[in-house]
Parts: sequence; structure tokens; C-alpha cells
Amino acid sequence: MELQLAIVAGVLYAAGLYLMMRRQLVQLIIGLGLITNGTNVLIFTSGGLTRTNPPVIPEEMPETLEPFADPVPQALILTAIVIGFGVLAFSLVLAHRVHKASGSDDVRGAS
Amino acid sequence: MPTNAAAVPVLLPLLGALGALFVRRPSAGRRALIALLLTGLTAQSLWLTARALEAPLVLSLGGWVVPYGIVLVVDPLSGIMLCLSAVSALATTLYGYAAEPAGGEHPLRAPLFLLLTAGVNLAFVTGDLFNLFVAFEVLLLASYGLMTLELERGSTRRALPYVTINLIGSALFLCAAAFTYSLFGTLNFAEMASRAPALSADLRLHVLAVLLVLVGALKAGLFPLYHWLPQSYPVMPAPLTAFFAGLLTKVGVYVLIRLVAGVLPAELHFLHTALAWAGGVTMVVGVLGALAQDRVQHILAYHIVSQVGYMVLALGLFTPYAITAAIFYVVHHILAKTTLLLVGGVVQAVFGSDRLADTGGLARSSQVLSLTFLLQALSLAGVPPLSGFWGKLMIIQEGVRQGETVLVVLALVASLLTLLSMLKIWLASFWGPPPLAHESGDLPSEAQVTQQSPSLTSQTQASHPAAPARKLVTLTHRTRGMIWVIAGLTAMSLGVGLGAGPLVSLADQAATRVLDHAATLEAVRALNRSPEPGKHP
Repeated sequence: MELQLAIVAGVLYAAGLYLMMRRQLVQLIIGLGLITNGTNVLIFTSGGLTRTNPPVIPEEMPETLEPFADPVPQALILTAIVIGFGVLAFSLVLAHRVHKASGSDDVRGAS
Repeated sequence: MPTNAAAVPVLLPLLGALGALFVRRPSAGRRALIALLLTGLTAQSLWLTARALEAPLVLSLGGWVVPYGIVLVVDPLSGIMLCLSAVSALATTLYGYAAEPAGGEHPLRAPLFLLLTAGVNLAFVTGDLFNLFVAFEVLLLASYGLMTLELERGSTRRALPYVTINLIGSALFLCAAAFTYSLFGTLNFAEMASRAPALSADLRLHVLAVLLVLVGALKAGLFPLYHWLPQSYPVMPAPLTAFFAGLLTKVGVYVLIRLVAGVLPAELHFLHTALAWAGGVTMVVGVLGALAQDRVQHILAYHIVSQVGYMVLALGLFTPYAITAAIFYVVHHILAKTTLLLVGGVVQAVFGSDRLADTGGLARSSQVLSLTFLLQALSLAGVPPLSGFWGKLMIIQEGVRQGETVLVVLALVASLLTLLSMLKIWLASFWGPPPLAHESGDLPSEAQVTQQSPSLTSQTQASHPAAPARKLVTLTHRTRGMIWVIAGLTAMSLGVGLGAGPLVSLADQAATRVLDHAATLEAVRALNRSPEPGKHP
């Protein structure tokens, strides 16, 4: 499973980088979004993948059943997704303002 | 020792930012409260530093068992950085007050600025790699806002390089955090440092170390990752440029010191050599860029790049003495650079432009301003007994001791070129003739420029009809207020230079603590044994 996810992360990175090399602002932003998501997949994989037990202690049990999924990467991804969302919203507004000001969404632009 | 005080440098500006959002209109009252808050922050940071000298202050947020929760650690290095951040936030805020009336201030500047300060402080106190990422995002989002808020409509595009490069940097940082977790199984700095020596021969650790250093170097504006810096910093209003230039790149340097000296094992010699050379090249490339510029703020922005090179060179030499030098240099640099960019702001306010050709005659109209600029420029170039001299001396001593002749020569050449480019500003803006009268079309209202004694001028014009009239530059009370702030910062900077002895020993303690991985680990692990401070109000 790790290998597949590593490939997914790699493909997301490649696609993101390709888009960032383009000259349109919107493509740049989509590329950044893809890279962020690729990184999230990477974090998810970094903790090691298990399909057994959730990292939650049931009422009647003294501790979790081994082996259980690592909760830290999941917490990290949640934080990263929230931050990524905020940053994405900001970049879209910035792109919109640049477009309104110069009438083009080319990265080099006329102005 | 465990204490809740470690969270105050983050919470105070954060609460201030929220409060400032509720008071929508910038009024004199809001300004006074914010100045008071920043003064309190300065005092608290000093107190924290004094206490951190005894033992690192630690706080486990939420009372989780270390290393699973988030910890805040204030050691002397963090304390020094907190003090510097509070002082430069206070100075640039006061300068901003002097520069503009309360009504003219953008309503969102104060909240975003306080949020930026909170983010910077969080980066200094965090003891956890992922939390450092969060701190970076907080400070970056606030800085994006500040940067784009006050740009004129047409020039929003100029913020693009800064935003894009930092977005890429954040993605890289997150990636590094993922690799760190998979390699170390923890993101806590102290725990990482204790597990790193066992991995020091592991190729994966080398790749990770390079990635982490790349992230820090990007934030610090190290060669070859510096192009974004001189392009985007000078476009902001002067107080913001000064804060960004003084502090934000130094967050990158702090992260480099913390990670390379405080977390990664000392055996990574290839990394230290690479850092030293990157620093050496940065010094020269930055100062050459500065020589080629013809605007005050652009020259100073290139100097930031060049000066970062010295700090990174010191870190690359990697001995306790060299790291002491790097920390001392950071202190010197933040004070000197903030002052110089504020002087650049005065030049902009007086002449309506910071193009060297449009300025002149400041030496005659303001002796205080001239003196502060001269002192700080000489300090940056490394003239004794100013603060820059001691920093450079320590770095060069260490370089000679290690036999790095080429790097030492590079440092000396860069220092000489710094002096040259500073002379450029001095000769044009201060000693140069005042700008010609017919260029007064774009002068702002606050800069009052009077004709030099009308009768004389008319006589001169009568005898030489072709010679245009020169103007005398006079200062308004706003510019005088700005100069007072600059003078205060210069006094502190002079204090750093003249009182270099005690400060070097402080920096030495900070460096020792950063390098002493075991003591930090002990302090952090002690949290698990002591009662949680959060539960006892």
C-alpha cells in the first residue's frame, strides 16, 4: 500500500510542478494545490499504514488493541488541510486582484 | 522549568490582534493601547530571557505527555530573539505612528501586524517541527496580507514573487516534516536531537537535512534562493519594510541555527561546508547587487541578502565560538538594518522618492538623521567599535582559525563593498546637492520644501537664466518624530557595540545551550514528571 501511495504523491507532485512552470496564474495556483495534496498523501504514508484498529480506546478496554493506526500524521494532515485551504483562498483573491488590475493572468504580465 | 509564561509572547499579540479587529477605526486610543501592549511584550520578553538563562522554560500545551503533545521551549536563544522581535515591532509601530496621522492608517494594518508578531514569536518559542510549520504559516499569511493591503491598485503583481516562493517553501517544509516523522518517529526537537546521532551515517538523514536547510535558506534569502527578497520588500511602506527586513529573514536564520546546531547531528560536515560556502557567495553576490542599485531602499534590501551571508557563514564554520558569533551578528543586524530602512523611509517621506538622483542635502537639514545613518552604515560595514565590527571580527577570527582563507577574504571584500555602497547613499542623499526645484511636481504634501531666499534666487536666475534653483530641505514635525524613533534604535545599537563584552557572553550562553542537546531533552522530559502548570491557575 505504501508503494501505491508513494506513486500517487509522486504523480501529484509532477503534475503540480508542471502546472507551476506554466505562465498562467490560475495554473500556478492549481499546481500549488496539487503539491499541497501530494504532501498530505506523503504525510499520511510517513506514519506507516495499517488497516486494523483506530487509535481510539474503547470504554470497556484498558488500552487500544495493537496494532493500531498512528494518530499523529492524521492530526498533522488535518492541520495542513486547514492551512492549505486558507492559503488557497488567499491566492485566488490575489490572482483575482492581479487580473482585475492588469486584465491578464499571465505571470509576467504587461504591467 | 515548566511555566505558562512561555506562551505569553504568542498570546499577547494574538489577543491584541483580535482586540484591534473589534475597534474598527484606527484612533489615537487604539494606537496608544497597541504601543502599550508592545511595550509590555518587550518587558515580558526581557524577563523570559533572564529566567531562561537559569534553565530553559518549557510548557506542554494541553498537558499531553512529551513527545506526543506540542511543547513550547524558551532557551536563551529564543529569549534573545523574542526581545529583538518585540523591540523592532515596537519601534516600527511608533515610527508608523509618527509617519501617518491615525486617520490615514489602514484599518487592517494593526491587526495583521500583531498577528505577524504572534507568528514570529511562535516560531521562536516552539519546540516542535510541525508547530514551526504552523508558525510559519501564521506569519506568512499575515505578511501576505500586509504586503498586498497597501500596494497601489496597479502593483499588486509585485507581491507575486514573495507569495509564490513562500507557498513553495511551505510545501517543501511540510514535505520535510513528513520525512522527519517517518525517519525519527517524532517531531519534537529535543527528542529528534537525541535520536539523530544514531542515524548520522544514514543517507535518509542526509537528504532530510538538506531539505530542512533548503527551507530555512529560502526564508533567510540565501544564495541562490534570494531573488524574491529585493524584489518584494522595498514595495511596502517603510515601517513594514523595516520590520520585514529586520526580522523576517532572521526567522530563517534562527531556524537554520536551531535545526543545524540544535537538532541535526554534528557529524554532517558536508552540510556545514555547503552552508559556509553558500554564506560566502551570498555575502558577495548580495553586496554586488546593492552596488548596482540606484534607490535607497533597494540598496538596503540587497544588503539584507549580503548580511545574511555572514550569519550563515558563521553557522557553517560550526564551532561553539562561531555559533556565538552568528547569534551576536543576528542581534547587531536586526537593530542596524531596521534603523537603516527607517532612515530610507525618512528619505522617501522628505523627497517623495528614494531614487538617489532625486535626493540630496539631508546632511545640512538634519544632523541627527545624518549621524544615525552614518553610525549604522559604518556599523554594517564593520568599523570599530560599532556592533558590526565585533560580529565580523569573531567570524573572521574563527575562519582564520579553521584555515578557510578564501572565505575570510570573501568576507573582507564584502565588508569593503558594503562600505562603498553605503557611501553611495551618503554622497547622494546626505552630502549631495538638494534636488532641483523643477522636480518638485511629485513631492508629497508633508514634505515642505522652501525656495532658498527668494531674492537671492531671483538674482541668481537673473544672472544665470539657465541655472535652475536649488531647494533647501526642511523637516516637518512628522519627520522629526520618525527621526526620534531612529535615534532611539541607534542608541540601542551603539549600546550593543560598546557593551559587546556582556552581550557576547550572553550569546555564548545561548550557543552553548543550543548545542547542549542533552540538557534540553532533560528539561522537556521533566514535563512528564512535574504537575501540569495549566491545571493550577
